[in-house]
Amino acid sequence: MIVSSGGEHLSHQGLAIQQAEALARSVPVIIQLREKGLEAGPLFSLCGRLASMIKSTGSMLMVNERFDIALASGAHGVHLPESSCPPDIVRKAAPGLIAGRSVHSRATAVKAEKSGIDYLLFGPVFPTPSKEAFGPPQGLDLLEEVCRSVSIPVFAVGGITPDRTFACIEKGAYGIAALGPFIDAGALPKMVNRFQSFISS
Amino acid sequence: MTLPRRFLCVITDESLCPVELACMALEGGARMVQLRRKTASGLELYEWAVRIQELCRQREAIFIVNDRVDIALAMHADGVHLGQDDLPASAARSLLGPDAIIGVSVANTSEAEKARYDGANYIGAGHIFPTLSKEKTTPPLGTSPIRDIGKAAGLPVVAIGGIGADNVQEVMKAGASGIAVISAVSGANDPVAAARDLVDRIWL
Repeated sequence: MIVSSGGEHLSHQGLAIQQAEALARSVPVIIQLREKGLEAGPLFSLCGRLASMIKSTGSMLMVNERFDIALASGAHGVHLPESSCPPDIVRKAAPGLIAGRSVHSRATAVKAEKSGIDYLLFGPVFPTPSKEAFGPPQGLDLLEEVCRSVSIPVFAVGGITPDRTFACIEKGAYGIAALGPFIDAGALPKMVNRFQSFISS
Repeated sequence: MTLPRRFLCVITDESLCPVELACMALEGGARMVQLRRKTASGLELYEWAVRIQELCRQREAIFIVNDRVDIALAMHADGVHLGQDDLPASAARSLLGPDAIIGVSVANTSEAEKARYDGANYIGAGHIFPTLSKEKTTPPLGTSPIRDIGKAAGLPVVAIGGIGADNVQEVMKAGASGIAVISAVSGANDPVAAARDLVDRIWL
């Protein structure tokens, strides 16, 4: 399960670290730090605190795009959006990091795997307001096709709810990634457990 | 890579293609180009940076990337320029290695001392004069603190902010090793001539 931060709940650092810790300890998750409103300096401090917290939990911290910050802060890896620096170049520059990549087609999924990417986010699988820029939903059949075309883990993203999770796993997804369901920090642990029950079933 | 004794640094802005601007700046005698595009994607920055670095190599000029140490690492830039809200220079130094050129923007002597301690090679001091290129919440420094900032850091000072043909000599007399400009070159009718004129005045 990948829990993506959207500049809402993790920016309030004091509270955020506690929430992230509760989250990281609940079940193994990938926390994807996606804080576009933060300058590199504050993002680096936040990452450093999250990275040292997460070490003992079995969960992982991925930084969106800025692999320099991932390297400097001790995060596990970097998540590369489609408009990022080319993945093969990032791989060469930061061989020790885990690298994920967002893809929106089978062709780019195959290409990403060839460039040495460790896992993919494919979507939007379902309609979602936060991913409208990436066009209409791709649907479960395309998700299945992408999962069959690559041997690295594929996480379904876009409009994912606990109820829709099982269908994605059935189509071959390794896991799911979501932002919206996790914005309500108070309900975060409960939401994680709901997702987890569908993933493990 | 070592810093030239007196030099012009041209910084890219949103008005022109960064590669075209770099080409004209180098033609006009700039010895340093800084890629700065806050809204561009990582891929755009990477592709521009690769091309500008090549142009700079041909002219034995220095190429640095603003803020994005990741881009500099990916395409082996000569260095980076960091603001006070960017990655700390110490972190950039450990990622980029001992040969990279690292500049840090400062507005006072204590930031200058810290920059040196963190491993900076030069100081960007500013803004010296009023400028429209960036929104500023603090008043301009004027030219008088330049020497003290340089002494505090023990490093060359590149002055920035509102510098043009009419005040470049004042800045150099105040102790700057170089000047960094945005609109004075990119906004000129003839950027090559504007850069050349600034370089001439730096050496007057």
